Amino acid sequence: MTIGRRIAVTWLLFGAGAVVVCLVAPLVGSTSINLWRVFDSSIPFPDNTDAQIFFVARLPRVLAGALVGSSLAASGVVLQALLRNPLATPFTLGVSAGAALGAMLAITFNLSSGIAGFSAVPIASFAGSLGAMAIVYGLARARRSGLSTNVLLLAGVTLNSFFSALILFVQFLSDFTQTFRTVRWLMGDLDVSSYAPLIAALPPIGLSFAAFAVLPRRMNLLSISDESAASRGVDVHRTQRLAFLSASLATGAAVSLGGPVGFIGIVVPHLVRLMVGADHRLVLPASAFGGAAFLVACDSISRTALAPLEIPVGVVTAIIGGPFFLWLLIRHR
Amino acid sequence: MAAHTTSLIAVALLSLYAVSVTAQTRPQRIISIIPSVTEMLFAMGAGPRVVGVGNFDRYPPEALTRAKVGGLIDPDIERIISLKPDLVIVYGTQSDLRAQMERAGIPIFPYQHSGLADITQTIRELGTRVGRHRESTALAARIEADIADVRTRVSGRPRPRTLIVFGRDAETLRGIYASGAVGFLHDMLEAAGGANVFDDVKRQSIQTTSELAIARAPDVIIEIGAGTASASGRNLRAWDAIVAVPAVRNKRIYLLAGDGMMNPGPRISESVRRVAEVLHPDAFRK
Amino acid sequence: MRPTAAISGSGGKDDRGLAADGVSFAYRGGEPVLIGVNAEIPRGSLVGILGPNGSGKTTLLRILGGLLTPSGGRVTLDGELLRSISRATIARRMAMVPQETQLAFEYGVLEMAMMGRYPHLGAFEIEGPGDLAIARDALRATGTLHLESRLFNTLSGGEKQRVVIAGALSQLDERGRENPSRPRSTDVLLLDEPTASLDLAYQLEIRSILHTLNAERGLTIVVSTHDLNLAAGLCRDLILLDRGRILAAGPTASILEPSLIRTLYGVDVDIARNARTGHLTVVPVARSAELPQP
Repeated sequence: MTIGRRIAVTWLLFGAGAVVVCLVAPLVGSTSINLWRVFDSSIPFPDNTDAQIFFVARLPRVLAGALVGSSLAASGVVLQALLRNPLATPFTLGVSAGAALGAMLAITFNLSSGIAGFSAVPIASFAGSLGAMAIVYGLARARRSGLSTNVLLLAGVTLNSFFSALILFVQFLSDFTQTFRTVRWLMGDLDVSSYAPLIAALPPIGLSFAAFAVLPRRMNLLSISDESAASRGVDVHRTQRLAFLSASLATGAAVSLGGPVGFIGIVVPHLVRLMVGADHRLVLPASAFGGAAFLVACDSISRTALAPLEIPVGVVTAIIGGPFFLWLLIRHR
Repeated sequence: MAAHTTSLIAVALLSLYAVSVTAQTRPQRIISIIPSVTEMLFAMGAGPRVVGVGNFDRYPPEALTRAKVGGLIDPDIERIISLKPDLVIVYGTQSDLRAQMERAGIPIFPYQHSGLADITQTIRELGTRVGRHRESTALAARIEADIADVRTRVSGRPRPRTLIVFGRDAETLRGIYASGAVGFLHDMLEAAGGANVFDDVKRQSIQTTSELAIARAPDVIIEIGAGTASASGRNLRAWDAIVAVPAVRNKRIYLLAGDGMMNPGPRISESVRRVAEVLHPDAFRK
Repeated sequence: MRPTAAISGSGGKDDRGLAADGVSFAYRGGEPVLIGVNAEIPRGSLVGILGPNGSGKTTLLRILGGLLTPSGGRVTLDGELLRSISRATIARRMAMVPQETQLAFEYGVLEMAMMGRYPHLGAFEIEGPGDLAIARDALRATGTLHLESRLFNTLSGGEKQRVVIAGALSQLDERGRENPSRPRSTDVLLLDEPTASLDLAYQLEIRSILHTLNAERGLTIVVSTHDLNLAAGLCRDLILLDRGRILAAGPTASILEPSLIRTLYGVDVDIARNARTGHLTVVPVARSAELPQP
């Protein structure tokens, strides 16, 4: 099969898979709903419980899962190519720690946006992620005009540690309830129950995906070495900048929307590479679709496995992702 | 005559002994880190003998004048020991603090939040322990009588299905924490004539997603908040997103804020009354 | 010390080829790495840049290949200033083969060869059957076509190096896209220590491939190395680089000369022509009593 055909098939198969999962997920839940009633327009909406559950409780949640899952998986792919390391995650460079610090500050100091439907936590979280991104970027650029990937990695890891320390300090200042809420936030939560946070997350995620659309071929070349990419005519500095900024922006938006849900950014790209190979023109779109499907599926498990109790979605991805990762390591050894 | 004198002397000696023992076991320097227990101590008149309170203890105002010795998770052990207490009230989960106090030879009184009945039970036990037996018994009896009065007023009335929420992210429906079928909030609700929508969930708290709230369809939603109404930061308009819920449709959502609301202490009967007034307003009209 | 390299190319006198004019380079705030380098590499040459570690060989190679911008001086390709030629155009005419290629991801051999087609494709253009044919031809030219369905990481060192060279060849291949009215421009293959990490047999293989590419296709080949015998066995011309300056340049036979080697390496050597291969060989004998010239 030519590469053109393979690209088309990958888009079709993975895309269809993601769509199917997203169509089925709102039908799944701890309460059984009747699909005919949901779409029965003769029943006024305020009285239609089934429609409310579908459109207010489940659908935004599924869409949030798709947005967060695809963003984290795609960012993972881009960062792995940028750092030339398949073990890199969207959280490696400190963006998620910045987001966590922002969220924690909002929770501890009881910040409120004052507008119904808009919580201050995602806003503060996104601001935190942008701050972390700026710091890491600034540190990595300090030496030369390009982005040294080594310095990038070091800066990211250092920032992770530093922000984690700050987070602990903030937790020390919080009272019991706040601490509980922050810990819960860290486990991930997709129950947005409104379309407003989704719409708010679209611009940064949309921008990032626009960048992701033009990166794959350059990522192939860059993932071999700076030199071989440059020799083939890639503007290495600009590509690195674009990759770092877009992946960080998408990660920041995703984490602000659903919390730092782990393992998607590393398990999905790995699985996808096992299925389609290493060409980023296949890996990137397949991972985006795969990430959406994976997270939406995990969220469905999260809200049905122990109903009426909910397992935080980050716990579900960890329970599935952790053993999978062990298996990968053993297999490779 | 000799037997008479002997028995008199025996009685005198015994009384002296009893007085001295009581004087010995009657703590003079009490430390309490738990807000509700601090309240209990002051309410039963042991306030003057309290030398240290927790960082979050705010009631009665007198408590603010005592030395602060930390919180539930991080009690300041050095501070506690430096105050030379002869009784420290510890929470059941504070095993570290317990061990430290035992090593230092400081007597402790263990306590843990639980149901409504445990509150008055603890008041009695604590009262005996600190030597305010009479006052604590009276206090407990008064609380029980108040609660019984509420029960009488609402008895026989249909119990509205109620969602009792004690935590929620500001402005949204995320992070809603409601009381399950265990704990004093549930007991409060039951005493006030309500039925917990989470009657089947044998836990103290359950995170309520929007789907769960819609599915359980409460007739009344009560949000319990600490601090003043505005400071609790709860915007009740956020509930409008799930208008299929009867409580939202019929506008029966209430915010009960105030320092004592979440406190399983002596003011619990007031809290029960406030909940009952909201569930069955006609039972309380003058 | 001769400041300018006088190198014999494959054809007569013309201004085609790669040339460095007064090139200097220093990293920001660092010591100078190259000082006033002049070099002319006519089209069709097979040149070795020789020098001890730290002499600036790799830097010079990168500057010649357009991967680094010199701090001073200029580089021209067929008379045109490198910095005025677009990145993609340079990429179609000059390809670099690094010393080692370590892959973090499991690319296939054919994929690696195909990656060289990047400068020939438009923004969202996908490789077509023509590109596939070019990639296969390149693999064939380096004797690696039989490996095309293998994963790159499973190959031996020598096989990997040959696949990377194939990738460079497919990068330079203009078939189907060149403008027939323009004269054939100089295609340059630059290699950084191509045999440094290879076993003896693979070293011979690489040498043979490079020799063939130069002889049959007229490919201009520039090799940077510290291996005197590779230089002697492969290159027709040599440029000696001593701590950032050109020590000497010219045909191998005249440059590979004990006094120059002594100046460059501080080692006394025996140079002899091997009867079987016909190449010069260099045998180090002893550290030289004299210190290297400043």
